[in-house]
Amino acid sequence: MNSKHHLLIPKIESGIVIDHVPAGLGRSILKLLCSYAGMAEAQITLGLNYESNKLGRKDMLKIIAPELPETILEHLSLVASGVTIKRVDDYQVQGKYSLQPPDHIQGLARCINPNCVSNHEGQASARFTRLGETSHKFRCGYCERVFELDELAIVLP
Amino acid sequence: MKNDLISMNDLDLARIESYLKLAHRVETMPREERVRLLPGRVLMVMFYEPSTRTRLSFESAMQKLGGGVIGFSEIASTSVAKGESFSDTILTCERYADAIVVRHPKEGTARLAAETATVPVINAGDGTNQHPTQTLLDLYTIKKFHGQVDNVRISFVGDLKYSRTVHSLFQALLKYEGVKVNLVSPESLRLPKYLKLSAEGKQLAFDETEDLRAALAKSDIVYMTRIQAERFADIMDYEKVKNAYCLEARMLADAPSHLKVLHPLPRVNEISSDVDGTHFAGYFDQVESGVIVRQAILLNLLGVMS
Repeated sequence: MNSKHHLLIPKIESGIVIDHVPAGLGRSILKLLCSYAGMAEAQITLGLNYESNKLGRKDMLKIIAPELPETILEHLSLVASGVTIKRVDDYQVQGKYSLQPPDHIQGLARCINPNCVSNHEGQASARFTRLGETSHKFRCGYCERVFELDELAIVLP
Repeated sequence: MKNDLISMNDLDLARIESYLKLAHRVETMPREERVRLLPGRVLMVMFYEPSTRTRLSFESAMQKLGGGVIGFSEIASTSVAKGESFSDTILTCERYADAIVVRHPKEGTARLAAETATVPVINAGDGTNQHPTQTLLDLYTIKKFHGQVDNVRISFVGDLKYSRTVHSLFQALLKYEGVKVNLVSPESLRLPKYLKLSAEGKQLAFDETEDLRAALAKSDIVYMTRIQAERFADIMDYEKVKNAYCLEARMLADAPSHLKVLHPLPRVNEISSDVDGTHFAGYFDQVESGVIVRQAILLNLLGVMS
């Protein structure tokens, strides 16, 4: 991070940084975070369109919160897989990892097949299974159609 | 734990083969012995969509095993018409029967039925998704004619977009070795992308073409399908393709002599009646296999034979 970034989005003492967000996705991530009632009080800073060696342009979010609940991270992985999650403590990055989609998705996305029973019967809650360890393809547990991760209709809480 | 038959995706090759072996045992069993296998057992057939063959075939299968059949074949006379949820209908119907057969126009409904019921559930067709009992009888018929499923050259012809029998059989063939598939259809009725994706990394090789004659010359099995008017949102789209393929006896003159024509039936005009009398016609034998294979499925799921 260069000095220009410091001016625009200061370091946080402790919390979570979501980095390497493809430019344009930052707002979607913010919307998703804010849709969780538990995040209503969290202090969040959103930075847009920073220069990035890796992505050309990137967005970034800094969240002052001890941690992000697993459900939110799972939800995030559906809209922004590949972003970097950094845990910051005492102004230092204590750990980081690339956020990857889960092997199973339940209740966080809707099947886009209009004829799938999960869109018609309340008892059938949409669920998806990843086709392979590194795959971004998911099979619907009901209609069995295979979708790319970015094709799934993400459900906000 | 109860067993269901919902999708070919749930069955590994060993399980498929065990169904086919059991069907062979059933076929060679004396009729008077068969009728003593399921006395007092009741099968519930729930058809939310029209069916003749599948429903009658299940009824015939159950009765030949000594069991009884109850159910409905249209929803107008049921509580569904009064607004009852699908799950409630299943929870009620399972109290009357030892197993349930369900056909429904929505994809995934049989899976939901299986998750809801405590008795075995058999998928008799869910929208454009799966038709596993048809697939097992197709495999049984292919084996009968061709000796094996491995290395078979099969042409699927007609409506490959909406035909659940094609989707189901295509997925089953992915589990065998050396299978070659010709996908013969108008461009608007091609096999869906998600099914082609499922062939990635598998041994099955497939080609897409609109040329039926060329496909006939390199096929052991030709699997004809009806262009299904009821699946089209716009009837004008149906009109454009409804007569895309009509197989006539003269077109088979240069076909391999061992070639067999199959069809899940009913047919409209995609197989001319002059094919019926030729040695190529396999579709009525296929119907007969249907009863045998469904007997095997019932015996297996009800825990009588494995």
